[in-house]
Amino acid sequence: MLKHKLFILSAALSFSIIGASDPAFSAPSDPQTIKIVSSLPRTGSANSQSTSIVNGIKLAIDEVGGMIGDAKIIYEDWDDASPERGAWDPALEAANADKAINDPSVVALIGPYNSGAAKISMPKTNAAGLLHVSPSVTWPGLTKPGVGEANEPAVYRPSGKRNFFRVVPADDIQGLVAAQWAKTLGMKTVYVLHDRELYGQGVAEIFRRSAPANRLEVLEFEGIDPKASNYRSLATKIRQRRPDLVYYGGTTQTNAGQIAKDLRASGVTAKLMVPDGCFEQAFIQSAGANNINGRVYITFGGVPPEQLTGAGKKFYDDYKAKFGSAPESYSIYGYEAGRVVIEGIKKAYGKPSFTRASLIEAVANNNDFSGALGRWSFDENGDTTLTTMSGNIVENGQFKFSQLLGAD
Amino acid sequence: MNPLSKLKSFAPSDLQKIFIILMLPVFIEMIFPSLGACDRFKPILVFAVLGFGLNVVTGYCGLLNLGVAAFMAIGAYTFGILTVSIYPFQIGAWPALLVSCCAGAAAGVALGLPTLRLRGDYLAIVTLGFGEIVQDILRNLEVITKGSQGINPLPRLVVFPNERGLDSPIVSYLVILCIVMFVAWTMRNLERSAVGRAWTAVRDDELAAGCMGVPVVRTKLKAFAFGAALCSLAGALWASGLGSTGEPGNFDFALSILALCIVIVGGLGSVAGVLVGAIIMVGFNSIVLVELSERLGAAGFSGTQNVFASPANWKYFVLGAALIITMRLRPNGLLPSKPSEGGVL
Amino acid sequence: MTDIEVLIQQLLTGLSNGMIIALIALGYTMVFGIIELINFAHGDLFMLGCFAALTALGVSGMVDVEPGGIASIITIAALFIIVPTFCATINWCVDRYAYRPLRNSPKLAPLVSALGVSFIFINIGLFWGGLPLEVFGYGSAAAAPKNFPALLPFDNLLGDSAIFVTWRELLVVLVTIPILAALLYFVKCTATGKALRATAQNPTAARLMGIHVDSVIGITFIIGGALAGVASVVYALTYNTVFFQMGFRVGVDAFTAAVLGGIGNLAGACLGGLLIGLVRALSDQYIATQWTNSVVFGILIVVLIFRPSGLLGSRTREKV
Repeated sequence: MLKHKLFILSAALSFSIIGASDPAFSAPSDPQTIKIVSSLPRTGSANSQSTSIVNGIKLAIDEVGGMIGDAKIIYEDWDDASPERGAWDPALEAANADKAINDPSVVALIGPYNSGAAKISMPKTNAAGLLHVSPSVTWPGLTKPGVGEANEPAVYRPSGKRNFFRVVPADDIQGLVAAQWAKTLGMKTVYVLHDRELYGQGVAEIFRRSAPANRLEVLEFEGIDPKASNYRSLATKIRQRRPDLVYYGGTTQTNAGQIAKDLRASGVTAKLMVPDGCFEQAFIQSAGANNINGRVYITFGGVPPEQLTGAGKKFYDDYKAKFGSAPESYSIYGYEAGRVVIEGIKKAYGKPSFTRASLIEAVANNNDFSGALGRWSFDENGDTTLTTMSGNIVENGQFKFSQLLGAD
Repeated sequence: MNPLSKLKSFAPSDLQKIFIILMLPVFIEMIFPSLGACDRFKPILVFAVLGFGLNVVTGYCGLLNLGVAAFMAIGAYTFGILTVSIYPFQIGAWPALLVSCCAGAAAGVALGLPTLRLRGDYLAIVTLGFGEIVQDILRNLEVITKGSQGINPLPRLVVFPNERGLDSPIVSYLVILCIVMFVAWTMRNLERSAVGRAWTAVRDDELAAGCMGVPVVRTKLKAFAFGAALCSLAGALWASGLGSTGEPGNFDFALSILALCIVIVGGLGSVAGVLVGAIIMVGFNSIVLVELSERLGAAGFSGTQNVFASPANWKYFVLGAALIITMRLRPNGLLPSKPSEGGVL
Repeated sequence: MTDIEVLIQQLLTGLSNGMIIALIALGYTMVFGIIELINFAHGDLFMLGCFAALTALGVSGMVDVEPGGIASIITIAALFIIVPTFCATINWCVDRYAYRPLRNSPKLAPLVSALGVSFIFINIGLFWGGLPLEVFGYGSAAAAPKNFPALLPFDNLLGDSAIFVTWRELLVVLVTIPILAALLYFVKCTATGKALRATAQNPTAARLMGIHVDSVIGITFIIGGALAGVASVVYALTYNTVFFQMGFRVGVDAFTAAVLGGIGNLAGACLGGLLIGLVRALSDQYIATQWTNSVVFGILIVVLIFRPSGLLGSRTREKV
């Protein structure tokens, strides 16, 4: 009986609430404080990259002294990862997006780190018209039509407007330059592996598609179990096919280090090429420097921090001075994302109506942005016009810049 | 039967108290909308449904199932395939919810038919294996499941759409709360139905139940199918709330274990227990820890690379200790179904 | 490589993987045989063993020893003493403080406790990786996999043959087979072993016969833990990775092996382990890596349908 009462009560409540106003549509309530939040995996193995990205964002905000005009900029660093996943958790990413949307003082969400997470938060922020800038998601379908599913990227833009921007080149460029680099290295045959996750499989797929144009023969395209304890039998299978190169679309978390080790232990002489998900110290630690010195090629979307010049060099020095260690590879994208938001606020704030929409407008028109990565703009999809990538190798247990790679 | 005796037979006031607790987020949301209380409490309800599903199999029927995540995945993906525009069905969210339950039940029967004759521990590893196989299928059959892409965006279960085509957080919370209430009510009735008594008879002594004329395998199969249907319902609710099925890896062993913890900490075979278990386990997971991380983060504690600094990293310690201590002090859970008669399972 | 060489190579890989699985499966099967408990924490105990081994290397500074040199041999020998002792101690403590108080509780209670212990182990593993030691990268990325330095050389013992046999594969065999033999001897031919079998058969009757059941169970946990410790060292030396989540896949494989062979049956656990190792290797080669897990569990389900007590398990009649 009580439950019936409860039901009636809840039904009554729901009727009374339908008309309630929706905070997402109001303008930032208090112009004196403006909040920027980030949603990045702070738990689990991506944390060292995340920490570096967060530091980059902080650096960008500190550069303006945390103030724009008379407004105070508050930055909050939210976690979208949970320990049982060891990586981003869809429920937390969704919760973070909702929280950002429902907090009227939040004007921009920086993040996420993973493309899969972006698929969850993007439709939410888009419907709510909240500025969303990612420092690191690289799945092309998020922004570019005709690369992923037929309904991409429209499904991420329920409002039909553009609110999502990324400062990092997408994987359609990374997979392509990786294939081109393999060609210039004199590779003829390649065995492509992927981790059956969004990022790894996506970049491996584009590598495979780009292979024929670069006179690479793809011997096999194979998904692996990223939780497997070892890959010795897979390595034997690879040895039998005698490829010049093994391409693994995966990350440190999806066992790239173990693959590198097992290839060596099973006597495979082919070199290994991996994408930027492995461009972090943790990869060298997990693979063991001796196992990958001179055996591994790593592509990265941009120039490694220590190779930067001009504004980038300044970022590198400031970062080292402030945080006491060299930035990880994605840090500069965190910084650039922070700069994009800050510069947007500078332009939009002080105009008679500073709203989430006017901020998006300001960021979208950031033509010829002069940032730490050079001069660039957002194209009509919200992607950076930068396509410079770098090829790196490992020497003496350290990443070493090898050459610039261009996508044309 | 007069209404008063009906009221009495309604398990002690535990269940009522719990539903009052579950109404709290609604009031909080009305007073402090910025806290987003409803959105934060919603996972508790979804996982309560999952707990109910496992409770049928493990609590009532005594079969250890370590693969409920697989049924949840089946629910989520069925819901996705039936509603998203890249597939030819698009039957709408509410019908898809029903079909998801049926798909789950079918999967439960398919797994149960060949394996339900197995001893308890053997069944446990078979269900665990089933969980892994389903993950593999979701990843590998890309034509159907979109593999690592996941299926998105999924429609919400909308009753009173606002200008963005969504329910307000309170309405969408109440919708799920109603579903949970309905499931709880069904469970209470099932407990006292013929099939419910057959389940407990099989759990308490399979041989005796068989001798008394209970068709053991068919009874177990019913439990499996019904439990799987509820798990699939939870999966569909979860996916629809999230707007995506997520990656197949979301439906892994950790999820099955979370469901098991919910049921066991709450009390096997107890409707109120499942709700308490869900409030405690999921509340700790997705509210307390997140909140704590944020407070510490705002105070500048986290954000270092020090693994000890983040409260989320202590989670397994707390969960593990909670399980061990619960088993030491209350081996039948916090709200056991009946005064314990020597043993469950 | 010719097809036949590939087959031989895969069989070798499968066998060496299978032996490691068997070592861990024995721990599952012994505990199950004696107290009917699926010890979920066993895979994670193995993981902690691997961390202990890496820590021992880091603390003693034996990180950059020449693979195969005299220093590395001494280090390996030391690891084979330290790590099994460590794991055996932990396993005994876990039984003493987490499982023993629950002997008379409902059957699920110890199982849930085991899950709890497993959680705590995983958390310890996560924190362990964050210790400020060089081998853990000074704790910068606690959750990332860690490299275990190569103490064994990579050279092919068969010279220029296309079949690759290194000290790694050989070590697995050299360690596992004597240990299995010793274990069988212990269980079959010693008084303690007899007490163990008696307890497994009927704890009440064993107690009435004057067997101290609790210490017998304690011994079982010590042996199971030591075997997991041996497996940790073998694994770390062979695959060179330590990772806080590694206990899951290895544990599931081992548990599957124990069930496949007939849980409670020592020979069955070994057979199951070898079979799973072989199936994994052959499935990777001839089916597809991405389906290997499904193949393993598919085979398990099929075997159980036709032999509901596993390959070597005997059908136990339930007593009324």
